[in-house]
Amino acid sequence: MRRLLWVLVLLAAVTAVTVVAIPTLTIMPFKPQTTRILEIAYPLRQLAPRVTLVCLVIVTGGALFLLRGPRQPAALPRGRTLRWFRQPLVRHVARGVLLTALVAATGVVTWFCRQNHFEWMFNPLPNVKYVDVGATKSFLTDDEMVMGIEVNGLSLAYPVRQMAYHHVVNDMFGTTPVVVTY
Amino acid sequence: MWESALDGRRLRFHLAGINNQNFIMQDEETGTWWQQVNGRAILGPMKGRQLKLIPADIVAFGVWKLDHPRGRVLAPDPEIEARGDEYAQSDWERNMARRRVVTTLPKGSPFEPRTLIVGIAVNGHAKAYALTELRASRVLLDVVDGRPVLIVAADDGKSVRVFDRRVDGRALEFAATPNSVAIVDGAGSAGGKTAVPRAPVLIDLDTASEWDFAGRATSGPFAGKTLARLPHLLEYWFDWQTYWPKTDVYKPWRPTPKAVDRLEVPKPAS
Repeated sequence: MRRLLWVLVLLAAVTAVTVVAIPTLTIMPFKPQTTRILEIAYPLRQLAPRVTLVCLVIVTGGALFLLRGPRQPAALPRGRTLRWFRQPLVRHVARGVLLTALVAATGVVTWFCRQNHFEWMFNPLPNVKYVDVGATKSFLTDDEMVMGIEVNGLSLAYPVRQMAYHHVVNDMFGTTPVVVTY
Repeated sequence: MWESALDGRRLRFHLAGINNQNFIMQDEETGTWWQQVNGRAILGPMKGRQLKLIPADIVAFGVWKLDHPRGRVLAPDPEIEARGDEYAQSDWERNMARRRVVTTLPKGSPFEPRTLIVGIAVNGHAKAYALTELRASRVLLDVVDGRPVLIVAADDGKSVRVFDRRVDGRALEFAATPNSVAIVDGAGSAGGKTAVPRAPVLIDLDTASEWDFAGRATSGPFAGKTLARLPHLLEYWFDWQTYWPKTDVYKPWRPTPKAVDRLEVPKPAS
Protein backbone atom coordinates (compact mmCIF):
# COMPACT_ATOMS: atom_id res chain seq x y z
CA MET A 1 0.00 0.00 0.00
CA ARG A 2 2.78 2.37 0.94
CA ARG A 3 4.74 1.35 -2.07
CA LEU A 4 1.79 2.17 -4.29
CA LEU A 5 1.46 5.56 -2.67
CA TRP A 6 5.14 6.26 -3.19
CA VAL A 7 4.78 5.45 -6.86
CA LEU A 8 1.75 7.70 -7.11
CA VAL A 9 3.50 10.58 -5.37
CA LEU A 10 6.60 10.26 -7.54
CA LEU A 11 4.51 9.99 -10.68
CA ALA A 12 2.50 13.07 -9.77
CA ALA A 13 5.61 15.11 -9.02
CA VAL A 14 7.31 14.07 -12.26
CA THR A 15 4.15 14.78 -14.25
CA ALA A 16 3.79 18.24 -12.78
CA VAL A 17 7.42 19.14 -13.43
CA THR A 18 7.37 17.72 -16.96
CA VAL A 19 4.16 19.47 -17.98
CA VAL A 20 5.71 22.80 -17.01
CA ALA A 21 9.30 22.12 -18.04
CA ILE A 22 8.61 21.09 -21.63
CA PRO A 23 6.98 24.32 -22.84
CA THR A 24 9.28 26.48 -20.71
CA LEU A 25 12.49 24.94 -21.97
CA THR A 26 11.47 24.68 -25.62
CA ILE A 27 9.99 28.12 -26.06
CA MET A 28 13.03 30.21 -25.44
CA PRO A 29 14.85 32.82 -27.47
CA PHE A 30 17.99 31.71 -29.31
CA LYS A 31 16.61 28.20 -29.65
CA PRO A 32 14.90 27.03 -32.80
CA GLN A 33 11.22 26.05 -32.61
CA THR A 34 9.46 23.67 -34.95
CA THR A 35 5.76 23.29 -35.60
CA ARG A 36 5.83 19.98 -33.75
CA ILE A 37 7.39 21.54 -30.67
CA LEU A 38 4.75 24.26 -30.59
CA GLU A 39 1.94 21.77 -31.14
CA ILE A 40 3.13 19.91 -28.05
CA ALA A 41 3.94 22.97 -25.97
CA TYR A 42 0.64 24.76 -26.49
CA PRO A 43 -1.74 22.18 -24.99
CA LEU A 44 0.73 21.53 -22.16
CA ARG A 45 0.73 25.21 -21.37
CA GLN A 46 -3.05 25.35 -21.33
CA LEU A 47 -3.38 22.22 -19.19
CA ALA A 48 -0.55 23.00 -16.79
CA PRO A 49 -2.48 25.09 -14.22
CA ARG A 50 -5.08 22.38 -13.64
CA VAL A 51 -2.76 19.40 -13.96
CA THR A 52 -0.19 20.84 -11.55
CA LEU A 53 -2.87 21.63 -9.00
CA VAL A 54 -4.17 18.07 -9.06
CA CYS A 55 -0.60 16.75 -8.82
CA LEU A 56 0.10 19.08 -5.91
CA VAL A 57 -2.88 17.74 -4.01
CA ILE A 58 -1.74 14.16 -4.63
CA VAL A 59 1.87 14.87 -3.71
CA THR A 60 1.02 16.84 -0.59
CA GLY A 61 -1.63 14.42 0.62
CA GLY A 62 0.56 11.44 -0.12
CA ALA A 63 3.57 13.05 1.53
CA LEU A 64 1.65 13.77 4.72
CA PHE A 65 0.61 10.14 4.92
CA LEU A 66 4.00 8.71 4.01
CA LEU A 67 5.84 10.97 6.44
CA ARG A 68 4.35 9.14 9.34
CA GLY A 69 6.48 6.15 8.58
CA PRO A 70 5.51 2.50 8.38
CA ARG A 71 3.11 1.15 11.06
CA GLN A 72 5.43 -1.69 11.87
CA PRO A 73 9.06 -1.02 11.40
CA ALA A 74 10.94 -3.71 9.50
CA ALA A 75 11.92 -6.58 11.79
CA LEU A 76 15.52 -6.60 12.86
CA PRO A 77 17.38 -9.56 11.49
CA ARG A 78 18.47 -11.68 14.43
CA GLY A 79 21.87 -11.08 15.84
CA ARG A 80 22.77 -8.37 13.39
CA THR A 81 23.01 -4.65 13.69
CA LEU A 82 21.46 -2.53 11.02
CA ARG A 83 23.63 -0.67 8.58
CA TRP A 84 23.64 3.06 9.24
CA PHE A 85 21.43 3.88 6.32
CA ARG A 86 18.82 1.41 7.48
CA GLN A 87 18.53 2.89 10.94
CA PRO A 88 14.97 4.02 11.56
CA LEU A 89 16.01 7.57 12.34
CA VAL A 90 18.08 7.91 9.20
CA ARG A 91 15.27 6.47 7.14
CA HIS A 92 12.83 8.83 8.73
CA VAL A 93 14.98 11.86 7.95
CA ALA A 94 15.64 10.68 4.41
CA ARG A 95 11.94 10.16 3.89
CA GLY A 96 11.25 13.62 5.20
CA VAL A 97 13.82 15.27 2.98
CA LEU A 98 12.66 13.47 -0.15
CA LEU A 99 8.99 14.13 0.46
CA THR A 100 9.65 17.77 1.26
CA ALA A 101 11.64 18.10 -1.95
CA LEU A 102 8.84 16.53 -3.97
CA VAL A 103 6.21 18.77 -2.43
CA ALA A 104 8.44 21.82 -2.93
CA ALA A 105 9.20 20.98 -6.57
CA THR A 106 5.53 20.37 -7.32
CA GLY A 107 4.60 23.54 -5.48
CA VAL A 108 7.10 25.61 -7.41
CA VAL A 109 5.93 24.43 -10.81
CA THR A 110 2.29 24.85 -9.79
CA TRP A 111 3.06 28.48 -8.99
CA PHE A 112 5.36 29.03 -11.98
CA CYS A 113 2.89 27.91 -14.61
CA ARG A 114 0.45 30.53 -13.38
CA GLN A 115 2.98 33.29 -14.00
CA ASN A 116 3.81 34.86 -17.31
CA HIS A 117 7.58 34.67 -17.08
CA PHE A 118 7.97 36.51 -20.36
CA GLU A 119 6.40 39.51 -18.72
CA TRP A 120 9.04 39.37 -15.99
CA MET A 121 11.60 40.25 -18.61
CA PHE A 122 9.42 42.60 -20.60
CA ASN A 123 6.93 44.30 -18.32
CA PRO A 124 3.70 45.15 -20.05
CA LEU A 125 2.89 48.82 -20.10
CA PRO A 126 0.55 49.40 -17.14
CA ASN A 127 -0.99 52.67 -18.30
CA VAL A 128 -1.17 53.62 -21.93
CA LYS A 129 -0.72 57.39 -22.13
CA TYR A 130 0.17 59.76 -24.93
CA VAL A 131 1.73 63.18 -25.11
CA ASP A 132 1.71 65.83 -27.81
CA VAL A 133 4.49 65.88 -30.36
CA GLY A 134 5.87 69.00 -28.74
CA ALA A 135 6.11 67.43 -25.31
CA THR A 136 8.49 64.61 -26.16
CA LYS A 137 11.79 66.36 -25.55
CA SER A 138 12.51 64.56 -22.33
CA PHE A 139 12.39 61.06 -23.80
CA LEU A 140 12.62 61.14 -27.58
CA THR A 141 15.10 62.60 -30.07
CA ASP A 142 14.41 63.26 -33.73
CA ASP A 143 16.57 60.47 -35.04
CA GLU A 144 14.99 57.72 -32.96
CA MET A 145 12.74 55.35 -34.87
CA VAL A 146 9.01 55.37 -34.29
CA MET A 147 6.11 53.38 -35.68
CA GLY A 148 3.44 55.77 -36.82
CA ILE A 149 -0.16 54.80 -37.43
CA GLU A 150 -3.34 56.60 -38.34
CA VAL A 151 -6.50 55.28 -36.75
CA ASN A 152 -9.92 56.91 -36.57
CA GLY A 153 -8.51 60.27 -37.58
CA LEU A 154 -5.76 60.14 -34.96
CA SER A 155 -2.02 60.13 -35.70
CA LEU A 156 -0.04 58.15 -33.18
CA ALA A 157 3.63 57.34 -32.88
CA TYR A 158 5.08 54.46 -30.89
CA PRO A 159 8.81 54.81 -30.23
CA VAL A 160 10.60 51.62 -31.18
CA ARG A 161 12.75 51.84 -28.05
CA GLN A 162 9.69 51.47 -25.83
CA MET A 163 8.01 48.92 -28.06
CA ALA A 164 11.13 46.76 -28.15
CA TYR A 165 10.77 46.52 -24.39
CA HIS A 166 7.02 46.10 -23.94
CA HIS A 167 6.45 44.23 -27.21
CA VAL A 168 2.67 44.53 -26.92
CA VAL A 169 0.45 47.54 -26.25
CA ASN A 170 -3.34 47.21 -26.30
CA ASP A 171 -5.44 50.31 -26.88
CA MET A 172 -8.78 51.49 -28.18
CA PHE A 173 -9.40 54.45 -30.47
CA GLY A 174 -13.05 55.30 -30.66
CA THR A 175 -14.60 51.99 -31.59
CA THR A 176 -11.42 50.52 -33.04
CA PRO A 177 -9.38 48.34 -30.67
CA VAL A 178 -5.76 48.05 -31.69
CA VAL A 179 -2.79 45.98 -30.64
CA VAL A 180 0.57 47.57 -31.31
CA THR A 181 3.38 45.07 -31.56
CA TYR A 182 7.07 45.02 -32.15
CA MET B 1 0.06 46.66 -35.66
CA TRP B 2 -3.26 44.98 -35.87
CA GLU B 3 -6.90 45.70 -35.35
CA SER B 4 -7.64 43.57 -32.36
CA ALA B 5 -11.33 42.87 -32.86
CA LEU B 6 -12.56 39.68 -34.49
CA ASP B 7 -16.19 38.62 -34.86
CA GLY B 8 -17.17 41.80 -33.06
CA ARG B 9 -15.18 40.86 -29.97
CA ARG B 10 -12.17 42.79 -28.68
CA LEU B 11 -9.11 40.69 -27.94
CA ARG B 12 -6.50 41.74 -25.39
CA PHE B 13 -3.02 40.43 -26.02
CA HIS B 14 -0.08 39.53 -23.85
CA LEU B 15 3.42 38.43 -24.63
CA ALA B 16 3.33 34.63 -24.43
CA GLY B 17 6.37 33.14 -26.04
CA ILE B 18 8.76 33.19 -28.92
CA ASN B 19 8.91 31.30 -32.18
CA ASN B 20 12.23 31.52 -33.99
CA GLN B 21 12.99 35.00 -32.69
CA ASN B 22 9.55 36.34 -33.49
CA PHE B 23 7.31 36.61 -30.53
CA ILE B 24 4.01 34.88 -29.87
CA MET B 25 1.13 36.68 -28.22
CA GLN B 26 -1.85 35.18 -26.48
CA ASP B 27 -5.28 36.73 -26.24
CA GLU B 28 -6.98 36.68 -22.84
CA GLU B 29 -10.38 35.97 -24.29
CA THR B 30 -9.69 32.66 -26.06
CA GLY B 31 -6.14 31.72 -25.10
CA THR B 32 -5.17 31.49 -28.76
CA TRP B 33 -1.52 31.96 -29.78
CA TRP B 34 -0.83 34.52 -32.50
CA GLN B 35 2.39 35.12 -34.40
CA GLN B 36 3.54 38.74 -34.14
CA VAL B 37 5.07 39.12 -37.58
CA ASN B 38 1.96 38.20 -39.56
CA GLY B 39 -0.96 38.50 -37.12
CA ARG B 40 -2.04 34.93 -37.73
CA ALA B 41 -3.38 32.54 -35.09
CA ILE B 42 -1.11 29.51 -35.04
CA LEU B 43 -2.57 27.43 -32.20
CA GLY B 44 -5.73 27.45 -30.16
CA PRO B 45 -9.45 27.99 -30.67
CA MET B 46 -8.95 30.67 -33.30
CA LYS B 47 -6.22 28.87 -35.22
CA GLY B 48 -5.95 30.06 -38.81
CA ARG B 49 -7.69 33.37 -38.23
CA GLN B 50 -5.99 36.54 -39.39
CA LEU B 51 -5.88 39.93 -37.70
CA LYS B 52 -6.37 42.96 -39.92
CA LEU B 53 -3.12 44.79 -40.52
CA ILE B 54 -2.83 48.47 -39.72
CA PRO B 55 0.03 49.74 -41.89
CA ALA B 56 2.69 51.49 -39.89
CA ASP B 57 5.09 54.19 -40.99
CA ILE B 58 8.44 53.14 -39.58
CA VAL B 59 10.61 56.23 -39.77
CA ALA B 60 12.69 58.53 -37.63
CA PHE B 61 10.62 60.67 -35.27
CA GLY B 62 11.85 63.83 -36.95
CA VAL B 63 10.47 62.58 -40.27
CA TRP B 64 7.16 61.49 -38.77
CA LYS B 65 6.67 64.86 -37.12
CA LEU B 66 6.75 66.61 -40.49
CA ASP B 67 3.60 64.83 -41.54
CA HIS B 68 1.88 64.81 -38.18
CA PRO B 69 2.60 68.04 -36.31
CA ARG B 70 -0.48 67.48 -34.16
CA GLY B 71 0.19 63.80 -33.58
CA ARG B 72 0.44 62.05 -30.22
CA VAL B 73 3.31 59.94 -28.95
CA LEU B 74 3.25 57.03 -26.54
CA ALA B 75 4.63 58.16 -23.20
CA PRO B 76 7.17 55.92 -21.47
CA ASP B 77 6.23 54.33 -18.18
CA PRO B 78 7.82 56.52 -15.48
CA GLU B 79 8.79 53.56 -13.29
CA ILE B 80 10.56 51.72 -16.06
CA GLU B 81 12.21 54.91 -17.21
CA ALA B 82 13.45 55.50 -13.66
CA ARG B 83 15.11 52.11 -13.71
CA GLY B 84 17.54 53.49 -16.23
CA ASP B 85 18.69 50.52 -18.25
CA GLU B 86 15.37 49.00 -19.27
CA TYR B 87 14.51 51.43 -22.04
CA ALA B 88 18.20 52.10 -22.50
CA GLN B 89 18.98 54.27 -25.44
CA SER B 90 20.86 51.89 -27.63
CA ASP B 91 21.52 51.34 -31.22
CA TRP B 92 19.26 48.34 -31.58
CA GLU B 93 21.11 47.16 -34.64
CA ARG B 94 24.40 46.94 -32.81
CA ASN B 95 22.84 45.23 -29.81
CA MET B 96 21.01 42.59 -31.82
CA ALA B 97 24.13 41.93 -33.86
CA ARG B 98 25.79 40.55 -30.76
CA ARG B 99 23.26 37.74 -30.39
CA ARG B 100 23.62 34.35 -31.97
CA VAL B 101 21.65 33.48 -35.06
CA VAL B 102 19.96 30.13 -34.48
CA THR B 103 17.83 29.63 -37.56
CA THR B 104 19.74 27.96 -40.36
CA LEU B 105 19.75 29.48 -43.79
CA PRO B 106 19.57 27.36 -46.92
CA LYS B 107 22.76 26.90 -48.91
CA GLY B 108 23.55 29.60 -51.40
CA SER B 109 21.71 32.23 -49.42
CA PRO B 110 22.20 35.58 -51.13
CA PHE B 111 22.83 37.47 -47.91
CA GLU B 112 24.58 37.03 -44.62
CA PRO B 113 22.07 36.27 -41.83
CA ARG B 114 22.40 39.73 -40.31
CA THR B 115 22.14 41.73 -43.50
CA LEU B 116 19.47 44.38 -43.07
CA ILE B 117 16.85 44.21 -45.75
CA VAL B 118 13.68 46.02 -46.71
CA GLY B 119 11.04 43.34 -47.17
CA ILE B 120 7.89 43.77 -49.19
CA ALA B 121 5.07 41.27 -49.55
CA VAL B 122 2.34 41.76 -52.16
CA ASN B 123 -0.41 39.13 -52.38
CA GLY B 124 1.80 36.53 -50.80
CA HIS B 125 4.79 37.32 -53.02
CA ALA B 126 7.77 38.46 -51.04
CA LYS B 127 10.87 40.31 -52.12
CA ALA B 128 13.86 41.51 -50.15
CA TYR B 129 16.06 44.51 -50.93
CA ALA B 130 19.43 44.94 -49.25
CA LEU B 131 19.44 48.18 -47.26
CA THR B 132 22.95 48.96 -48.48
CA GLU B 133 21.62 48.86 -52.02
CA LEU B 134 18.84 51.25 -51.13
CA ARG B 135 21.17 53.59 -49.30
CA ALA B 136 23.48 53.72 -52.29
CA SER B 137 20.80 54.60 -54.83
CA ARG B 138 18.25 56.20 -52.46
CA VAL B 139 15.44 55.19 -54.79
CA LEU B 140 14.69 51.70 -56.06
CA LEU B 141 12.08 50.88 -58.65
CA ASP B 142 10.74 47.39 -59.09
CA VAL B 143 7.71 45.28 -59.87
CA VAL B 144 6.48 42.80 -57.26
CA ASP B 145 3.72 40.42 -58.28
CA GLY B 146 2.79 42.75 -61.11
CA ARG B 147 2.65 45.77 -58.84
CA PRO B 148 5.08 48.59 -59.68
CA VAL B 149 6.76 49.68 -56.47
CA LEU B 150 8.96 52.54 -55.43
CA ILE B 151 11.23 52.29 -52.40
CA VAL B 152 12.78 55.45 -51.09
CA ALA B 153 15.11 56.05 -48.15
CA ALA B 154 15.72 59.27 -46.30
CA ASP B 155 19.21 60.49 -45.61
CA ASP B 156 19.33 58.78 -42.25
CA GLY B 157 19.47 55.52 -44.15
CA LYS B 158 16.78 53.93 -42.01
CA SER B 159 13.56 55.88 -42.63
CA VAL B 160 12.16 53.96 -45.57
CA ARG B 161 8.87 54.27 -47.38
CA VAL B 162 7.42 52.07 -50.08
CA PHE B 163 4.83 53.27 -52.56
CA ASP B 164 2.78 51.92 -55.42
CA ARG B 165 4.08 54.04 -58.29
CA ARG B 166 0.95 54.02 -60.37
CA VAL B 167 -0.82 57.32 -60.97
CA ASP B 168 -4.02 57.39 -63.00
CA GLY B 169 -3.44 53.79 -63.95
CA ARG B 170 0.07 54.19 -65.32
CA ALA B 171 3.32 53.25 -63.66
CA LEU B 172 5.73 56.13 -63.31
CA GLU B 173 9.49 56.03 -63.22
CA PHE B 174 11.19 58.10 -60.58
CA ALA B 175 14.60 59.56 -59.90
CA ALA B 176 15.97 61.00 -56.70
CA THR B 177 16.52 64.76 -56.55
CA PRO B 178 19.57 66.26 -54.89
CA ASN B 179 17.25 67.34 -52.07
CA SER B 180 16.82 65.02 -49.22
CA VAL B 181 14.77 64.44 -46.13
CA ALA B 182 17.68 65.33 -43.96
CA ILE B 183 18.05 65.15 -40.24
CA VAL B 184 20.40 68.01 -39.57
CA ASP B 185 21.85 69.73 -36.59
CA GLY B 186 19.76 72.54 -35.36
CA ALA B 187 18.55 74.17 -32.21
CA GLY B 188 15.30 73.30 -30.65
CA SER B 189 14.85 69.61 -29.97
CA ALA B 190 16.58 67.11 -27.73
CA GLY B 191 19.93 66.04 -29.14
CA GLY B 192 20.18 69.25 -31.11
CA LYS B 193 18.80 67.69 -34.29
CA THR B 194 15.79 68.69 -36.29
CA ALA B 195 14.30 67.65 -39.59
CA VAL B 196 14.46 69.92 -42.60
CA PRO B 197 11.02 71.09 -43.73
CA ARG B 198 9.49 69.23 -46.62
CA ALA B 199 11.61 69.25 -49.76
CA PRO B 200 10.89 67.35 -52.92
CA VAL B 201 12.94 64.18 -52.95
CA LEU B 202 11.68 62.57 -56.11
CA ILE B 203 10.95 63.59 -59.62
CA ASP B 204 8.98 61.49 -62.03
CA LEU B 205 10.42 61.01 -65.49
CA ASP B 206 7.08 61.24 -67.29
CA THR B 207 6.04 64.74 -66.29
CA ALA B 208 8.91 66.08 -64.17
CA SER B 209 6.51 66.60 -61.29
CA GLU B 210 8.24 66.83 -57.95
CA TRP B 211 7.24 64.53 -55.12
CA ASP B 212 8.01 64.68 -51.41
CA PHE B 213 8.88 61.91 -48.99
CA ALA B 214 5.22 61.43 -48.14
CA GLY B 215 4.52 60.54 -51.76
CA ARG B 216 2.73 63.82 -52.49
CA ALA B 217 3.36 65.67 -55.72
CA THR B 218 4.27 69.26 -54.83
CA SER B 219 4.63 70.67 -58.32
CA GLY B 220 4.07 69.85 -61.97
CA PRO B 221 1.11 68.25 -63.79
CA PHE B 222 0.58 65.76 -60.98
CA ALA B 223 0.58 68.35 -58.21
CA GLY B 224 -1.79 67.35 -55.45
CA LYS B 225 -1.75 63.64 -56.21
CA THR B 226 -0.51 61.13 -53.64
CA LEU B 227 1.07 57.76 -54.22
CA ALA B 228 -0.47 54.84 -52.37
CA ARG B 229 1.70 53.58 -49.56
CA LEU B 230 2.64 49.95 -49.17
CA PRO B 231 3.70 48.27 -45.92
CA HIS B 232 7.24 47.01 -45.55
CA LEU B 233 9.49 45.58 -42.91
CA LEU B 234 13.05 46.58 -42.17
CA GLU B 235 14.76 43.64 -40.56
CA TYR B 236 17.45 41.00 -40.68
CA TRP B 237 17.65 38.68 -43.64
CA PHE B 238 17.45 35.53 -41.46
CA ASP B 239 14.25 36.78 -39.88
CA TRP B 240 12.62 37.62 -43.23
CA GLN B 241 13.72 34.30 -44.67
CA THR B 242 12.13 32.37 -41.81
CA TYR B 243 8.71 33.77 -42.59
CA TRP B 244 9.09 34.07 -46.33
CA PRO B 245 11.15 31.04 -47.32
CA LYS B 246 10.37 31.55 -51.02
CA THR B 247 11.20 35.23 -51.05
CA ASP B 248 12.69 36.83 -54.13
CA VAL B 249 15.78 38.92 -53.78
CA TYR B 250 16.48 42.16 -55.58
CA LYS B 251 19.58 41.82 -57.70
CA PRO B 252 20.75 45.09 -59.16
CA TRP B 253 22.48 44.99 -62.50
CA ARG B 254 26.22 45.23 -62.29
CA PRO B 255 28.60 45.34 -65.21
CA THR B 256 30.64 42.16 -65.42
CA PRO B 257 34.33 42.84 -65.15
CA LYS B 258 36.03 42.10 -68.41
CA ALA B 259 39.65 41.33 -68.91
CA VAL B 260 41.52 44.40 -70.01
CA ASP B 261 42.30 44.21 -73.70
CA ARG B 262 45.96 44.97 -73.76
CA LEU B 263 47.20 46.41 -76.98
CA GLU B 264 50.59 45.03 -77.68
CA VAL B 265 52.74 47.70 -79.19
CA PRO B 266 55.37 46.01 -81.29
CA LYS B 267 58.87 47.29 -80.95
CA PRO B 268 59.83 49.38 -83.95
CA ALA B 269 62.18 47.63 -86.25
CA SER B 270 65.57 49.07 -85.58
